[in-house]
Amino acid sequence: MKAILGILANDIRRRLKNPLSVILMLLIPVTMTLITGLVFGPEGNVDMPKIKVLLVDNDGGFFGGLLKQGMQQGELGDMLDITEVTAAEGEEMMSGGDASALIEIPEGFTANVLDGKPAEIRLVKNPSETFLPIVVEEITKTMAVLLDGGTRIFNAPMSKMRSIVDQENWPAVSDMEEVMDGAKNGVILTYGYIADSLITFTDEVAALPDSVAAVDDPVVKDFNIFAYVMPGSMMIGLLFIVELVLRGLLRERKAGTLRRMLAAPVTTGQAVAGKVGAAFAITLISSLILLAVSRLGFGVDLGDPLALFLQTVATILMCTGIITFLYGAISGERAADAVMSVMIIVMALFGGSMVPSEQMPPALQAAGRFSPVFWAADGMKKIFLLDAGVSDIRIHLLVLFLLGVLTIIPGALLIRARIAKGGW
Amino acid sequence: MTEMITVKELNKSFGEVRAVRGISFSVAQGEIFGFLGPNGAGKTTTISMLSGLLRPDSGSITIDGMDMASRGRDIRRIMGVIPQEIALYDELSGRDNLLFWGGLYGLAGGDLRDQVDRALELVELTDRAKDAVRTYSGGMKRRINLCAGLVHSPKIILLDEPTLGIDPQARIRILEVVKGLASEGRTVIYTTHYLEEAEQLCDRIAIIDEGTVHASGTLAELVELVGGKVMVSVTGDFSADEAKQVLGEAEFDHISDGELRVKLLDRDQTGRLLGGLFSAGLHVDGVAIREPSLESVFLQVTGRELRD
Repeated sequence: MKAILGILANDIRRRLKNPLSVILMLLIPVTMTLITGLVFGPEGNVDMPKIKVLLVDNDGGFFGGLLKQGMQQGELGDMLDITEVTAAEGEEMMSGGDASALIEIPEGFTANVLDGKPAEIRLVKNPSETFLPIVVEEITKTMAVLLDGGTRIFNAPMSKMRSIVDQENWPAVSDMEEVMDGAKNGVILTYGYIADSLITFTDEVAALPDSVAAVDDPVVKDFNIFAYVMPGSMMIGLLFIVELVLRGLLRERKAGTLRRMLAAPVTTGQAVAGKVGAAFAITLISSLILLAVSRLGFGVDLGDPLALFLQTVATILMCTGIITFLYGAISGERAADAVMSVMIIVMALFGGSMVPSEQMPPALQAAGRFSPVFWAADGMKKIFLLDAGVSDIRIHLLVLFLLGVLTIIPGALLIRARIAKGGW
Repeated sequence: MTEMITVKELNKSFGEVRAVRGISFSVAQGEIFGFLGPNGAGKTTTISMLSGLLRPDSGSITIDGMDMASRGRDIRRIMGVIPQEIALYDELSGRDNLLFWGGLYGLAGGDLRDQVDRALELVELTDRAKDAVRTYSGGMKRRINLCAGLVHSPKIILLDEPTLGIDPQARIRILEVVKGLASEGRTVIYTTHYLEEAEQLCDRIAIIDEGTVHASGTLAELVELVGGKVMVSVTGDFSADEAKQVLGEAEFDHISDGELRVKLLDRDQTGRLLGGLFSAGLHVDGVAIREPSLESVFLQVTGRELRD
């Protein structure tokens, strides 16, 4: 045991003397989290400027007005800056690149809608912009679909309304009752669809992904984008740190220090245990640094201390186990160059380190469950965002501990066998 | 003298390559035993088996009365191995390196610190002990590399080409240290491909090539193998038959067209030999006279020069 601890302590001392490589690895998650936070803001909202849209209303009727008002109210009103212009002004401003898009409501638009005839809305996009005109296009399409669906469902009362509109006199009460009755049936029929807004930008949708919401009776905290991003990006850094420390074994073999160690009264098993232990310890220290940065730098609430401790230990055990196993399976430094980074990136990608798994398509989300990174990142998210306790993350802990133990032991034995055979 | 190391019929192969072929030797306590041979001769493989890093295919190693196969760990405890490469941690200081290596041999606390100080003094590196090894010169690295194998005061020391690629001054210092260790009663096995090192340092020498010990003994015993005679090599434009006809009863070591080697009782006979060749009208390009030495022994027993 003394020899194992000696080797472990020596590796930590060496890293402290030359910490640059570990610091660089720690910068990966910190930078990823910082950039995400800067892009989306601490609450996860994109602080986008309003999209400048020109509106040419050649119709001047009821439905043209409806479209215009629809785009100026509520969330769309916050997103779009609508300026009503004449056709000539609009063409001139568009050619000068003064707006992202121009929407032209043609003459007779309302009449055509009421008569059930095709009605066309013209959209002119600014070719020098890429993203914003597409947003306008999608909004316009959505409104056109809504309007189209509405006219089909309310066809009967609208026909009646057409005659009322055409009358010069005040409509009779019986005519209005007929219109209202027809409209009522349409509303009953479509209630389930029109009751929920199709375009929503509420916090709860972004803040509470499916897997997070699975916690029993969750305590929902104020959403912090850093708490959402850090667990995943942290995993990349930690996996690379384990890899860095264990790669030291290959370097020591090359430098001759491993041979010298084995010429001392130290068994191969003790040497490997010392190195794997050092990888665990250095990664644990690194994760503590990342947690401190999360708390102090990004204001992340670290949640339940016991759950955090167990999740951290289980995560490091899993990382150490997986990389130890991979090192046991490879034949040397060239193989490590070829395999290690790719394996880490793939595990991180599927596990939600780069794109949160909740944002992935269902098939990828399901595949992500096979990546150990998912269980580490998701458990940490639950602790950070929902104040999850040990019982809430028990499955995560079980998976991580099992993975750790089931990979670390055979991995270490494989490495020992390779060294004993004079391989590597 | 007590026999400290006994090696019998050691064999080791790597695939098709037979690196060590039936090597046997013994070393007494306090003796410096040298392995002299070119690169690839089997010296490092032998050292690796002696230090327990490689398991022999067959044969036995007994050290201080203990069998390597059954008591390898106990043997490693009393043995110091100084490898060919600088096997140290560059980022750590010389002192931290020694503390680590000493710790692996079970030293701790004040005892460890005292031993480290003593070892640093031995190689005259006390004043640079706190500096990172990467800042050391090549010679200093060699010295601290030596030190790391001595910090636990081993009874047996295996040195694998410890002076490789260093300046003469550092080499002299290392050789002095090794002599000092032997004078303290420690047993030393020293591998080298430098003839002069083996001549100066070793009490006994084994000439090894292609995995086989071709000859072993003290320098005097080895020189006696070549009859203590001067070896004269002559090259020129002559055939083997012509040369044989002229030199008649000379003791040839080698003769071929354009080249011959003759053993003479002393170098004064060289003039008479060359006179014979000249008077027969044979053209001579070059003459080399080699006094009886390890070099000529090596040539004699292996059939080739060490630098080959």
